[in-house]
Amino acid sequence: MHRFLWAAVAALVPTAAFAADEAIAKPIAALKAVAREGKNNDTVGLAWSGLVSQGAAALLPTLEAVDDANPTSANWLITAAGAIAEAEAKAKRPLPVEKLVAFAKSTKHAGSARVLAFEMLSDAEKAKLLPGFLDDPSADLRRFAVQDQLEALTKQKPAPKDALEKLLSFARDPDQVETIAKKLETDHQVKVNLAETFGFIANWEIVGPFPSARGKALTVKYAPEEKVTPGEKLKGKDDAEVTWKSIASKDKYGTVDFNKLVGKHYDAAAYATATLVAEKAGPVEIRVGSPNALQVYLNGKKLFEREEYHHGDAMDYHVGKGLLAAGPNVLVVKICQNNQKETWAQRWQFQARACDATGAPIPGVTQLVGNAKLKLGAVSAPATEEKK
Amino acid sequence: MNRFLPILPLSLALALPLFGGEWGQFKGPNGTGVSDEKGLPTEWSREKGVKWKAALPARGISCPVVFGDRAYVTCSSGKRDDRLHVLCFDAKTGTQLWHRQLNATGQTACHPKTCMAAPTPVADASGVYALFATADLAAFDADGTLRWYRSLTGDYPTITNQVGMAASPILVKDKLIVPMDNDGESFLAAIDTQYGKNVWKANRPSGINWVTPLVRDVAGKSEVLFAGNTGLTAYDAADGAKRWTYKEGGGSIPSASVADGMLFLPGAGVSAVKIGAEGVEGKQLWSAKELKPGFGSPLVYKGKVFSVDGQGFVACGDAKSGKVHFQERTKTAFSASPIAGDGKVYCVNELGLTFVLDAGSTEFAPIAENNLGEEVLGTPAIANGCLFIRTDKTLWCIGK
Repeated sequence: MHRFLWAAVAALVPTAAFAADEAIAKPIAALKAVAREGKNNDTVGLAWSGLVSQGAAALLPTLEAVDDANPTSANWLITAAGAIAEAEAKAKRPLPVEKLVAFAKSTKHAGSARVLAFEMLSDAEKAKLLPGFLDDPSADLRRFAVQDQLEALTKQKPAPKDALEKLLSFARDPDQVETIAKKLETDHQVKVNLAETFGFIANWEIVGPFPSARGKALTVKYAPEEKVTPGEKLKGKDDAEVTWKSIASKDKYGTVDFNKLVGKHYDAAAYATATLVAEKAGPVEIRVGSPNALQVYLNGKKLFEREEYHHGDAMDYHVGKGLLAAGPNVLVVKICQNNQKETWAQRWQFQARACDATGAPIPGVTQLVGNAKLKLGAVSAPATEEKK
Repeated sequence: MNRFLPILPLSLALALPLFGGEWGQFKGPNGTGVSDEKGLPTEWSREKGVKWKAALPARGISCPVVFGDRAYVTCSSGKRDDRLHVLCFDAKTGTQLWHRQLNATGQTACHPKTCMAAPTPVADASGVYALFATADLAAFDADGTLRWYRSLTGDYPTITNQVGMAASPILVKDKLIVPMDNDGESFLAAIDTQYGKNVWKANRPSGINWVTPLVRDVAGKSEVLFAGNTGLTAYDAADGAKRWTYKEGGGSIPSASVADGMLFLPGAGVSAVKIGAEGVEGKQLWSAKELKPGFGSPLVYKGKVFSVDGQGFVACGDAKSGKVHFQERTKTAFSASPIAGDGKVYCVNELGLTFVLDAGSTEFAPIAENNLGEEVLGTPAIANGCLFIRTDKTLWCIGK
């Protein structure tokens, strides 16, 4: 009879394994199919509980599922992974450390899930992983790694110049970049050009003002949007003649101040355009900070718009994702000022940079100024804020 | 999905109505800031009068909420402030029961004083509803089960406020009322508490606004009062229909109070109007600029109006006449709203110093000044005979 028993067990094992896989795969599929406005939350909520009830076996599949999940589904999955890990810890069952380490290291997985996996590890495991994250696509893991080395280097007086410069090449967050730059200057008298480090676009052709009462300019295509023709005279606000100007921002964060460059106006829009030259085609992020309403176009395609005034101008607040063609690419930024009279509502300005998904300048991408290809952030000579 | 059904009764069973104190939303019961509990603490310090304290993982200016034996807190962390935390503690012991994390799906830029954990969560017998300034909204059962989650920015992508949103949701029976006035698509929505689906969604004019709505009962019907840049509007809680508006009742930061048939409106000071079934009746009864609130909302308690502001002023006036009893300037700004119970008014300043006032007094004569020495921007909660004060680092339970 034994052989029949074994045969029965052998037949059942794949079935049980299949059922276990199904018990994980099905709720994951449900969590990845979340509908807009929570319209299927009744089934999704049940799936969440079902997934968490599978325990540690569901942890890695849940983290992996974040890879191609939309942001809403990702949060259903992230909370499930966290709940599983918490339950395992309360039950004093060990987490699958080797698998979590492998997951955290693998850049093919979603950054948010990798960070969560990393945080489930012991301090000793984290310390071993950190150096490998210095050039990581995850902004958080990269930051952790840079911070770890930065803390070590700041204790050294002087810190090795090559180590600081190497760390600077990995840093992306302004606070870390500034700290490293300051240390380089203090310890080695090396002046870091922040505009170049971040890839801010320093040289622009600008024109304005154009009328924009109640944000009208966001709905109107003025001539600079149809065709950029530097030197051309255009009809601007109140039928005044406006002309293109070449300007170069000396600001370390690439700020272009329209109040200084085209004058103080209310209910007005101004344009800035730059030509980016790419050695080869590829993705680009145009990141803009501005306290004003704005639109961003790349090669005539609108990448981004936002109608919000005077509520902050955080660097990189607006991100437009696009594709650079090999050769010249025309970037157009439209910045609209409203008519608020408060002292804190008078700024009319922007900063913009072109970078990769980590926030670094893209190798082979330059700015065409006249006939010269300049590194992003470099100012065309002479370095004046405005060239008439 | 049938295989998951047996799990549901378990999670609901764990979320059955509990007992004890209830301070389930911004400014507690009905948003009044008033507790009916007795024996509340008068004196404490970091070392004295502390029932328990629990470490928090990150910053937050949202208020703690308590329902029965559960206390809930939200926090936000990360260089980009994009890690969102919801924590549940045993209200009696301070033991952390669970901690859930979400990633921000909305924008995270804000004024440095605030953060993404700014709106106050709502707690009820079943669990907690946590809204963040990123417009991420999650409902957890009391045992930490994620009941539902909404990315409101995913649903309505133009939502934006670079100063940082802070208006808090409120609960009206089985509906969570979610204020979402911002520079993009603005609305007031009722979301069903069981599944998180829209029951109704009333469009609002675009414009940032930090006011938390109020609810009142009118002839057995619930009415939501929501002040914004264009005035105060009353909505039928059942279907979101506009019932009446009061253009002079506009606001942008502090929230109004309703007490004794009067509506107390914060603005350049505090003003009072009579409110009836059909809305505001007659002309303004009084206005007192000396009672000007800052970030905190005025408190109406035992016939008096109390307010605190960002310059350190503590002011008190008569609720019926508006006569100002005192306006005293202290050394430090207030962000938290004053709250009251057991005949005492608690005013916590930004450095964690609490002035305990005798509500019966018409003079500024604190009966105690209690210092925790940590920044406090969120309004404390009163429940189970204790004060729950959240700082950036700690949740303090003050009392016995």
